[in-house]
Amino acid sequence: MRILKIMPEKCTGCLRCEIACSYMQTGTFQPAKSVIRVSPFEGHTSYAPYTCPQCAEGWCMTACPVGAITINAAGAKDVLDDTCVGCKLCTIACPYGTMFYDPDTRKAFKCNLCGGDPACAQACPTAAITYDDVPTVDWLGDFAAERTTRLLAGVR
Amino acid sequence: MSPPTLAASATKTKSAPARPGAYAGRLLRVDLTRKKCWAEPWSPDEMRDLLGGVGLGALILYRETATRGGKGNVAWDHPDNRLVLATGPLAGLPVWGTGALTVVTIGAQTNGPTSTQANGFFGTNLKYSGYDAIIVQGRSKDWAYLYIDDDVVELRDAKFLLDKDTWETQEALGAAHGLSGHQLSVYAIGPAGENLVRFAAIHGDYGHVASKNGCGAVMGKKKLKAVAIVKGTQALTAADYRGVIQAADDIAHDLRTDPSAKSLYEYGTLPGVVNLSKLGMLPIKNYTTNVPYDDTSTWEAPKLREGFDHRGHQCNACGMHHCHMQVIRGGEHKGKVVDEPEYEGWSGCGWQIGARDKEGISWLNTECDRACVDVNEFGWVCGWVMECQEKGYITKQQLGFELRWGDIKGAHRLLRMISHREGLGDLLAEGVKIAAERLGGRAKECAIYTLLGASPRGHDHRGRWDEMLDTCTAGTGTLESGVPVHVAELGLPTRITPFDGEAVSRQVAGILGRRHFEDSLGICIFTARTRMENLCRALSAATGWYYTLDEAMRFGRRTAAILRSVRLRCGIGPKLERPSARYGSTPHDGPAKGQAVSEQWEKMVDTWYVQVGYDRKTGKPLPKTLKDLRLDWLARDLWGAKK
Ligand code: SF4
Ligand code: SF4
Ligand code: SF4
Repeated sequence: MRILKIMPEKCTGCLRCEIACSYMQTGTFQPAKSVIRVSPFEGHTSYAPYTCPQCAEGWCMTACPVGAITINAAGAKDVLDDTCVGCKLCTIACPYGTMFYDPDTRKAFKCNLCGGDPACAQACPTAAITYDDVPTVDWLGDFAAERTTRLLAGVR
Repeated sequence: MSPPTLAASATKTKSAPARPGAYAGRLLRVDLTRKKCWAEPWSPDEMRDLLGGVGLGALILYRETATRGGKGNVAWDHPDNRLVLATGPLAGLPVWGTGALTVVTIGAQTNGPTSTQANGFFGTNLKYSGYDAIIVQGRSKDWAYLYIDDDVVELRDAKFLLDKDTWETQEALGAAHGLSGHQLSVYAIGPAGENLVRFAAIHGDYGHVASKNGCGAVMGKKKLKAVAIVKGTQALTAADYRGVIQAADDIAHDLRTDPSAKSLYEYGTLPGVVNLSKLGMLPIKNYTTNVPYDDTSTWEAPKLREGFDHRGHQCNACGMHHCHMQVIRGGEHKGKVVDEPEYEGWSGCGWQIGARDKEGISWLNTECDRACVDVNEFGWVCGWVMECQEKGYITKQQLGFELRWGDIKGAHRLLRMISHREGLGDLLAEGVKIAAERLGGRAKECAIYTLLGASPRGHDHRGRWDEMLDTCTAGTGTLESGVPVHVAELGLPTRITPFDGEAVSRQVAGILGRRHFEDSLGICIFTARTRMENLCRALSAATGWYYTLDEAMRFGRRTAAILRSVRLRCGIGPKLERPSARYGSTPHDGPAKGQAVSEQWEKMVDTWYVQVGYDRKTGKPLPKTLKDLRLDWLARDLWGAKK
C-alpha cells in the first residue's frame, strides 16, 4: 500500500502542505482544519509535518460505535460523514493524535490520502512528504528526540 | 480630502457586490491613544482599486495624515501619523512566499512616506485571523503590544518586553502565550526602536525585516513594542481554487527554471557578493575603492552556505532555498543560532566596513536585526565612521575608542552605542545624512546618502545607476521602481548599456509601478520574480476579477503618484532628489572606473521626469498623467479645479 512517507529533515516549515490539505478536506483554504499538521521543534529552527500513518491496527475504526470509519479505495481509513455521530471516541482511541473533531460540522475527520492523490505530497516544495509504497515506520521519533535535546547539527 | 473614507463608502454601498475571493474583508483599526481596537469593513470596489499592501497604505496616508487642508502633513513622530501594517490578496494562499507584510507610514529618516516590506508569516496569520491590514494610530501612554487571536484583539502591557531585542521579544511572547514557531507571528522593535533611532526597523519571525526609512522609530514613538498574531482559524476562499493552485505551480516553475530567478531559487541573495563585485557594484570600504580586498572565490554562494550548519526557514508556502537559520561553527560566537545573512548583510556588515571574518559578519548581521537597526544604514554609518577615523575627521576622543576597518567587535560596540544612543551614538542614531551634515567639513564629503535622507541599498550604486536614480527620485525615499524583472513584458529593451544615462532613465521610468503592484499582493519580492502575467493570473483566480497586466501597471503608477503627492505635501521637493557628494562620485578603480554619473545626472533626471509624466519644477504628477491614471480627484487636489 502506498502511504505518506515523511522526511522531517527536509521540511522548512513553509506550511504549504497544510493549506493544500485544508482545501481537499474543506473546499476552502483553512489550515486550522488541515489533517496534516506541521509542528515546530527546537523553538523555531526546525519543523516537521505529521499526519495519520494509516496504522495497521486501525484503533479509530475499532473504537467507532457506529461503524463510521471504513477503508477507502486508496487503503486509507476514512470517516463516513453520513454515519459519524460526532461522539469523539475515535479521537481518544487514536494513539497518534491524528484523528480530529470539527466543531462546525460535528464530525470526526482525518487523513484519507485524498482518495489516492495526496495534496500535501503534491504541494510540498522540498519533497519532505512523498506518496510511496513503503512500510510504515516511525518517521518522527528519532528526529523529535534529537531536535528537542539539542540545536542545529554540530552544536551541543 | 477627496476620496471618502473606506468605512463610509463600504457602508454606503447598497446591494453590495459579493466580496472578492481571498480577502478577509476587514481592516483592523488600532487607536493607541484611546486604547481601542475595532474592525472596519472595506468595499469590493476599494479592494479592486487599492488591492492591499502599499496600494491601501498609500491612500490611507493621503487621506489621514494631511494638515492645513491638504497643504501640509503630520511629521513622523506625531500621534496622527499612521502605521499601516498591510498584507494583500495573495497572502495565506498556496502561492510561494505569501506571508508578506508591507509597512506604510511617514518614516523617520525622510519625514516623508515610506513603503517597506518583510515576509515570514505575518500576512498568513493576519488573514486567517480575519483581517487584511492593521492601521495603527495615536500614541500609547505606556508601552503596549498588540495581541490578535481571531476575534480577540487586545492592547496588552509590554513592560516585561522592554529593552529586549527582537528575538528575545518573540521568545518571551511565545513563552507567555505557550505558542512556538509559526503558531505565533511576532513583529517587534528592539532597543533601537525604543530609543527612536532614525533607521530603526521592524523585525519579525526570526530574520524578516521591514527595514527602510525608520518605520521602527515610528513604532517606538507610538510606544508599540510588538504585534503578535496567533495562527488564525478562519477560512479563505478563492473564486477558482484550482486556478490559484495552477498559477502557483506556474510561478514556481518560472522561479525554478528562469535564468534570472534560478540563482535566487537555489541560493537566495548569496550569489550577489561575487556577481556584483565583478560589475563594480559591491560597496567596498565606504566607496573608497571598488577592488575587493579579499579572495572572492571564498565568497561564492555554495561556500557561504556550506560554511555554516543550516536549515531552511522559509516563509508561507515558499519553496525557494532562500531564508535559512544557521549556526556559527567556530570563533568567538561558536554555537549561536543566527539568520543566514542576505547579500545586504554580507555587504553592510562585511564589505562596506572592510570585514573578512565570515562568522563575525554573520553574527553582527543578526545583532543588527536583534537591535532592529537597518543593516544598510548601519553599514553606511559604520563604514563612514571607520573612514573618518582613519583620516582623522572623527577622533578617538569623539568616539571613545578606535574603530578600524574590519573590526567586528568595534562595529558591534558602535551598534550598541547607536541603539542605546550612548555618546557619539546619539548623533549617529540620526543616520549618516544628519550626522554628516552636523559634523560638516571633510567628514561630510565621505558620507553616503541621498538628500531625501533614507538609505540606499547595500550596493556601490556608482556602478548601478538605475538604482541610484530610483533611490534619489522615489516617492518613498528608497528604491521604488525596483529591479528590472521580465521587462520585455512591458515592452522595454531586455538589455541596456548601464552607463548610458538616457537608457537607464527610460528603464527606471518604464518599470515604475510594477513594484507597487507586487507590494500590494502580500507576496515576496523574490517569488514575484515571475512574469506579471502569472501574478495577474493568480490574482484573478483568487479574487474572481479579470485582472490584466495593463490594470496592474496602472494600479502601480497610481499608487506611486499618491505616494509622491504625500511626499510633496511633507515638503520634500525635487531639489532634494540628488546623491551626496560621495554617493554620486566617480569610482577611481575597479570595473566601473571613470564612469561619472555626475556628468549625466541632470539629463537623467530630466528624462525620468518626462517619461513618468511628472512636472520637473514642482515634482507634481502632471494633470494629464493623473487623468490617464484615472486620478481626477488627485488632479483637483494638486492643481485645483479644471480651468
Ligand atoms: S487515525 Fe489514528 S488510529 Fe486511525 S488509522 Fe490513523 S493513526 Fe490509526
Ligand atoms: S509543505 Fe513540505 S516543507 Fe512545507 S511545511 Fe509541509 S512538509 Fe514542510
Ligand atoms: S524567497 Fe525567501 S523571503 Fe521570499 S518568501 Fe521565500 S523564503 Fe521568504
